[in-house]
Amino acid sequence: MAVISSTEDFLLADDFLRQLMSVGEVDLLVGIPSLNNATTISRAVEMIEQAFQESFPRDRVVILNVDDGSRDSTSEAFLSAMLSKNSNPWGLTSLRTIHRITTSCSNAPSQGGAFRTMLAAADLLRAKACAVISPVASNLTPACISALLYPAARENFDYVAPLYRRHRFDGLLARHLLYPMSRAIFGKGIRELHSEEFGFSCRLGSHCLNQNGWRDEAVQFSPETWMALGAISSDFRCCQTFLGQKTRPVTSSGTDIVAAVRGNVAALFSCIESQQVVWMERTGSEPVPTIGSDHDLTSEPVRVNRKRMLEMFRSGVSGLTTILETILEPGTHAEIQRIAAMDGRRVTFAAEVWVRTLYEFAAAYHHSVLNRDHLIQALVPLYRGRIYSFLLEHHDSSPEEIEADTETLCLEFEHRRPYLLEKWKARE
Amino acid sequence: MKDMIIRGLQQAYENMVNMMAEFLPRLVVMLIIGLVGLLIAFALKYLLRAILQLTRLDRLSEESGASRILRHAALPSITELLSRSLFWLTWLAFILVGISVLRIAGLQEQISHLFQLLPQVLIAILILFVGLLAGNFFSRAALLTAVNAGYRSPQLWSGSIRFVIWILAISMALEQVGLARQTVITAFSIVFGALMLALAIAFGLGGQELARQTLDRYFGEKKNEREKEQEPSPL
Repeated sequence: MAVISSTEDFLLADDFLRQLMSVGEVDLLVGIPSLNNATTISRAVEMIEQAFQESFPRDRVVILNVDDGSRDSTSEAFLSAMLSKNSNPWGLTSLRTIHRITTSCSNAPSQGGAFRTMLAAADLLRAKACAVISPVASNLTPACISALLYPAARENFDYVAPLYRRHRFDGLLARHLLYPMSRAIFGKGIRELHSEEFGFSCRLGSHCLNQNGWRDEAVQFSPETWMALGAISSDFRCCQTFLGQKTRPVTSSGTDIVAAVRGNVAALFSCIESQQVVWMERTGSEPVPTIGSDHDLTSEPVRVNRKRMLEMFRSGVSGLTTILETILEPGTHAEIQRIAAMDGRRVTFAAEVWVRTLYEFAAAYHHSVLNRDHLIQALVPLYRGRIYSFLLEHHDSSPEEIEADTETLCLEFEHRRPYLLEKWKARE
Repeated sequence: MKDMIIRGLQQAYENMVNMMAEFLPRLVVMLIIGLVGLLIAFALKYLLRAILQLTRLDRLSEESGASRILRHAALPSITELLSRSLFWLTWLAFILVGISVLRIAGLQEQISHLFQLLPQVLIAILILFVGLLAGNFFSRAALLTAVNAGYRSPQLWSGSIRFVIWILAISMALEQVGLARQTVITAFSIVFGALMLALAIAFGLGGQELARQTLDRYFGEKKNEREKEQEPSPL
């Protein structure tokens, strides 16, 4: 076993180290975290190998699978996936051996542990550019993988975020909270802070590997969000690249929303706190270079149970009164109660109230007025209220109108940034 | 006969006057001791508060997270808590000394018992404090989970959890100080057992439909298609 990180003990298994040593140094590394993905991982491996053959035939490459404890022989499926023999448009096949390594999480299985293992491997192999790929992404093509690797490998970008064609009612946490709030605070807007596919440079990978926050629950749950936030807050060169259609999630139950809010909002608030010295001095925002379309929304009809969302918003506001009183200013709390009491067809959770609510939540998180996990969970009913109001208002809106609404929200966040500063410093 | 009654009354009156003559000075001494103790306790309280404010103990407590725990339990800051504790301890000690001056038969023995019980009492207070914190924490966690999952009567879930934890803490504290040990254990077992049985019966008989839905939600293989599309994807 070898200790990799100097800040906190982190061990890699001897067998894994032997595999890494047999590979030697590489130029590119693609990581696939997996958990019971035996049926889909072969396709991901094929796509990655095609991407290597088509776009990086001269580079030394490795595919790394970090398994979270699968019981369906995912690792065997990864190793036995057929080697693709397709050549690139110029008739060349890869000039190098494409290595495959599989390992299990070194410490307790978790998304953070798997990601840390990948970073440690990339660091040991001195990979110049890396990408993380989801084993279940059915729309993944070799071009997508190349699009994630190329900016970091050839154009000196440190973080490559994906952009997708999505349904106009998908990714609402990203569009109503993560993107506008992080853009207003850190001055750089990345639309997909939470993504299962992304690329990064060895510089950013080493920076993250040497951070102290690996034991944080938010990092363990959502390490990709944490890395993206680290990249925009620490002045790494970031870009976004369009990957095409994002597969629509099969299900999105209430538990998924709670888990998504807990993981991603916790990562955002945690980053806001740890980087306060940096963002407090900044003003305004600058665009992040984008390769391909900046946004692409589709509007095929979908069935959404708005009535249940409204019920959960109302029951949350009434049931959590004592908790919300602790977090919010009296005026904001009264305004939310007024919204919850409105007629269902006229509920309007205005951008101004939403922004004020989020800034007060962030300040309350900073001042630890409550257990932090509980504080973030208390945001879930309010998020539902905001989304209900959005769905009501934009039921028949075109993608352009929805995009304009997102931009208005971003500007509202930037306009009210001094309010966050005021609340942030209130008790200091 | 008449003389005997008058003599008896005189005797009782004289005894009472003698007792009062003996007791009143002691009572005055006790009151003086109590009053002096009060002044000294106040002085010590303000002195300790000033010293602790100089040492910025509150800031340290805030950074270590101790203040958060105190706030959750609706208690004042660590400086205020320590200075108030010193006040009450000092005054209590003076009052006990004052009571011993009264020389009331049996009371002195009780006071010495009280001093012997002090360590157990402190541990019991600690148990109550931890129970209070745990009760608040877990009831809030249950409330948030129930509200966010859309369960009915989230306050009932939350209140029940707080009630059970507090009852457990109180019974443990009473057990620690040795008060009616058997009664407390029996009472707790009866209350806890009855509560669980009542909940099981209520859930199984009164809420058959809810029980079926809950079991379906956790163990059912196929979810209702309508449930699948309840909310738009957050990410």
